[in-house]
Amino acid sequence: MSEYVLELKGITKIFPGVKALNNVQFQLKPGEVHALMGENGAGKSTFIKVITGVHKAEEGEMFLNGQKVDFKGPKDAQAAGIAAVYQHPTSYPHLTVAENIFMGHEIIKHKMIQWKTMNTEANKLLAQLDADFDATAEMGTLSVAQQQMVEIAKAMSTNAKIIILDEPTAALTRSESEKLYTLVDKLKEEGVSIIFISHRFEDMYRLASRVTVFRDSQYIGTYDVNEITNADLIKAMVGREIKDLFPKPEVKLGQEMLRVENLSRLGYFKDISFHIKAGEILGLTGLVGAGRTEVVEAVCGITRPDSGKVYLEGKEIHIKQPSDAMEKGIILLPEDRQKEGLIMSWGLGRNVTLPTISKYAKTGLNDEKTERDLAKKLLEEVDTKAVDIFQPASSLSGGNQQKVVVAKALSQEMKVVIMDEPTKGVDVGAKAEIYAIMGDLAKKGYAIILISSEMPEILGMADRIVVMCNGRKTGELGREEASQERILELAMEKSGGKEASE
Amino acid sequence: MEKKSFIKKLTGSREALLAAVLLVLFIVVTVINPSFLTVKSLMDMLKNNAVTMVMALGMLCVMLVGGIDISIMSTLALSGMSIGMLLKNDVIASTPLAFLIAIAIGICCGLAVGLVISRADVPPIIATMGFMYVFRAMGYLVSNGGQWAGAAALGDFKKFATTKFLGINCVIWVVILCYAFFFWFMKWTRTGRMIYAVGSNPSAAQVSGINVKNIKLLVYVIMGLLSGLGGALQVSVYASAMPDMQYGGEMDVIAACVIGGVSMSGGRGSVLGALLGSLILATIAKALPLIPFFDQLWLNTIKGVIILVVVVMNVVLQRIADKNALKGREM
Amino acid sequence: MAGKSGRSINNVPESSIKRMIFSWEGILILIFIAVNIFCAMFSEFYNVSSLLRQMPVYLAEVFLMLPMAYILVLGEIDISVGSIVCLSATVCCIVCNMNAPFIVVVLTGLLVGTACGAVNGFILTKFTELPPMIVTLATQIIFRGIAEITLGSGGSITMSNLDGFNAIGGKVGQVPYILFLVVILAVVFAIILGKSTFGRRVYAIGTNRLTAYYSGVHVQKIRMIIYTVMGTVSGLCAIFLLSSSFGANTTTGNGFEMDAIAMAVFGGISSTGGKGNIAGGVIAAFIIVCLRVGLGQQNVHAQVILLIIGVLLIAAVALPNIIGQVRRAVKTK
Repeated sequence: MSEYVLELKGITKIFPGVKALNNVQFQLKPGEVHALMGENGAGKSTFIKVITGVHKAEEGEMFLNGQKVDFKGPKDAQAAGIAAVYQHPTSYPHLTVAENIFMGHEIIKHKMIQWKTMNTEANKLLAQLDADFDATAEMGTLSVAQQQMVEIAKAMSTNAKIIILDEPTAALTRSESEKLYTLVDKLKEEGVSIIFISHRFEDMYRLASRVTVFRDSQYIGTYDVNEITNADLIKAMVGREIKDLFPKPEVKLGQEMLRVENLSRLGYFKDISFHIKAGEILGLTGLVGAGRTEVVEAVCGITRPDSGKVYLEGKEIHIKQPSDAMEKGIILLPEDRQKEGLIMSWGLGRNVTLPTISKYAKTGLNDEKTERDLAKKLLEEVDTKAVDIFQPASSLSGGNQQKVVVAKALSQEMKVVIMDEPTKGVDVGAKAEIYAIMGDLAKKGYAIILISSEMPEILGMADRIVVMCNGRKTGELGREEASQERILELAMEKSGGKEASE
Repeated sequence: MEKKSFIKKLTGSREALLAAVLLVLFIVVTVINPSFLTVKSLMDMLKNNAVTMVMALGMLCVMLVGGIDISIMSTLALSGMSIGMLLKNDVIASTPLAFLIAIAIGICCGLAVGLVISRADVPPIIATMGFMYVFRAMGYLVSNGGQWAGAAALGDFKKFATTKFLGINCVIWVVILCYAFFFWFMKWTRTGRMIYAVGSNPSAAQVSGINVKNIKLLVYVIMGLLSGLGGALQVSVYASAMPDMQYGGEMDVIAACVIGGVSMSGGRGSVLGALLGSLILATIAKALPLIPFFDQLWLNTIKGVIILVVVVMNVVLQRIADKNALKGREM
Repeated sequence: MAGKSGRSINNVPESSIKRMIFSWEGILILIFIAVNIFCAMFSEFYNVSSLLRQMPVYLAEVFLMLPMAYILVLGEIDISVGSIVCLSATVCCIVCNMNAPFIVVVLTGLLVGTACGAVNGFILTKFTELPPMIVTLATQIIFRGIAEITLGSGGSITMSNLDGFNAIGGKVGQVPYILFLVVILAVVFAIILGKSTFGRRVYAIGTNRLTAYYSGVHVQKIRMIIYTVMGTVSGLCAIFLLSSSFGANTTTGNGFEMDAIAMAVFGGISSTGGKGNIAGGVIAAFIIVCLRVGLGQQNVHAQVILLIIGVLLIAAVALPNIIGQVRRAVKTK
């Protein structure tokens, strides 16, 4: 009889051109809460998908209670008592909560679905979770936190013995996170073993007894939460001291480049004001859902704010569409590089020149030679690892794709460069290169707004940090006074007056 | 949970709104022409719109998964023409057999359409556009280039539309049975709910083990089956089988569903909605000729405008609802 | 710039004759030749001069394929095209019968088409949530409905003044004017789609609308232009149609949208957007035109021809997908 309820050995998972998991191992003790940590792109999500049967590993073995198992699909994993709650709800927005909970294992009698019974059972589960909504509510009308609760109820309804939570607190307020902690405790009492992925050390300390670290698709180690320090953990996750990673050069600041005053957009953000000088790197951070991306998208013309003013180099500007912002020199590197930043099936060269093709097209016809030369120059400048400019963007790694997005930005006249999560899903080596590029741009006198959820990155690169929470600016910190704790405090909701920081 | 006010419940439920609209229409039409509200008049209306009503159920299933099918009337023509010719040439004489053959042909057509869409990944609009012409042409071939089966040739078959069972016309019974079956199927069976799931979130459905391809195939087979049934009903009600039967009639079916609140992008819609939508459409069609200066020629244009207005209204209402949801978020 | 590792990236495109022959266009040319041989074998009347003589009535539709190609590259669809042709033709007949000068008739036709196209464009760009399919399905009914109302209970109209139309139906030697215009227009549309900034943006929108928007492409403006031009060209098609039919009725233009889409899709333009070019569409169009002439000479029923085109449309999209699936399945074995 194995001492572990779940064990994986030697798991390797390969996608075309990328080794997502390289000989990783993992052990889960019965009734324990085990944290899985690592940077973005370390392989955590892929690993979870292997456990839940969504992906099949090329090499390696998995054991459930000492017995070897081989899942052919998600249904097998579900039948084996493994359930996962993902960061992005995998639910049916048009159907009710009860139906979402019981999808696939509805309560049926005489060939008819027993709606009444299902609703009652669903409400029972929801009561256990202390939910504030009913089983007959339509899924699409619930908030992200509520939808997550439904997903957990779903896991519970399958009598899962192993529940995996993927970034469970990422979209939750402080009070909602507290509810989640209580829930996890309850599940533990019922004998459920839990794996959770999180970036928040707070989650780990509060919930987990052990933590496993992945880095660059590899297994680094498993540690007792009581015995490891933050610094050690970061070192394990990142591979080097924080200081080495971020070559932020000292830059003399110039005049004010961009100033935003009382920018508001109903339902997304309210009364946002900040400014940035030439040569400055302004960090913009907060939890998922804080509204950071929405703010910069309003500045860049992707969406329109309801009220507020934007000033460029002291003069008020009115941006109605993305091309307006680009013409004025406000350039955005979008958050989702695959869906918003690049055309994956297009060649690198065409991606880079897309915003500016009319610049070197006389009479409306493309000047392909000039385009090709410019693309080559820019791609080489950011040191993209590619063979030629015609290969599709999909053939590059995450880090190199991001470099193409940077090259695309460089092809335009820039004054303010806004980078939204530029190192998400990027390997450590490419990250360093991107930070170097950022530093260079600052030296050249551009103003850079860096949106990031990664503490080390923000603390390492930003001259000043603006923190947002629930659509409002909650604070602004200088480089010296900033710390991870201080930022987290500002980023999380204060419910009912000031709460003492922990 | 707080009790919603009556008005909120009314506007919150699409079906309730439609029922109210239908009620208003009934009142308006009866005022203009009191003979509308007689049993005979209503039964006639049901009989004449039976084909659209039955096929709206199939279109509901297709639209629920985010698809569309404009080949349905060609399938109807093919199956109707086939049994018409079989009856005319005395190959068959039994009514139930004719119905079975029509349905079988419909299933085959639906199978072809469904396979092309689910297995070969052809976009539904293109696949069904192609099949629309293929099936219609096959109907012409079956009719030997334009022959048609008249009332005399159909023999006993046409009696189906004039026979009553328990006081209600057989054709209307078919409609009732279809709606009863689908009401049960869509709400009370797992397969029915899987159709909703696939339409609401296909990737989640795939991951949770639902065979999305087969569900997609199923809905087109259902549509084909009902189109075949529609063919038999059409021939019976109009006592003739012609190769250009119901040419352009797919618009009525689609309009009925759109009015009934079935979403083109999938996941939203109900049997009740399809029923109310087709009844509203039927009532409007009956009401228009009663208006003094109305010209029959305007009918199609009005149908097109109704579809356009309904879908645009859907968008506008959704935008308002979204805006209200945003207002609710505390900032 | 930091981090220069001195790596050099190639930017010289490679061309290959082999790739050109085995491209989709190459295959189409082979099919074109095969179809002509087939038609010639089966009918003694099928030769170049009879082809040129009988082409014009089928060539009018080829105009429609050109803007339809743009719409398909956008990843959208317009099935109201046939109805726009019907309405344009109807209004042209009316204006013609009022003894208006030929140029006015032509302009009317183009204007009606443009207006219809603009209606489509307006609705689609103001309500971007609406799928083009349902909007053009509705306008298809509405436009034809307006034509029906205009035509009245008779349902048809014939032109009284045929002068101008006879003129445009003329030829240079054996080659009809319309053929020249088709080729010229095809070249113009091809160059714009393949070589201009406008065309590049159309491909961008069709491949990834969001990225195109984030990159500063004026997505809605481009869509509006394309749907409006589709309308204008439909008007043009109506005018040339009148030069051989000399009248219009409620069934004018039936099936034209399927033909246009079939020509484009058969020509290699992906119905889901972002791929394909006009050259392929042109070759495919001529394949279909020759087929129509050839089969017409054989007295093949009009419905059967529609059947064949329907099959071609489905096959043109289904076969590449199926072949792709088979290839992938073989690879992973």
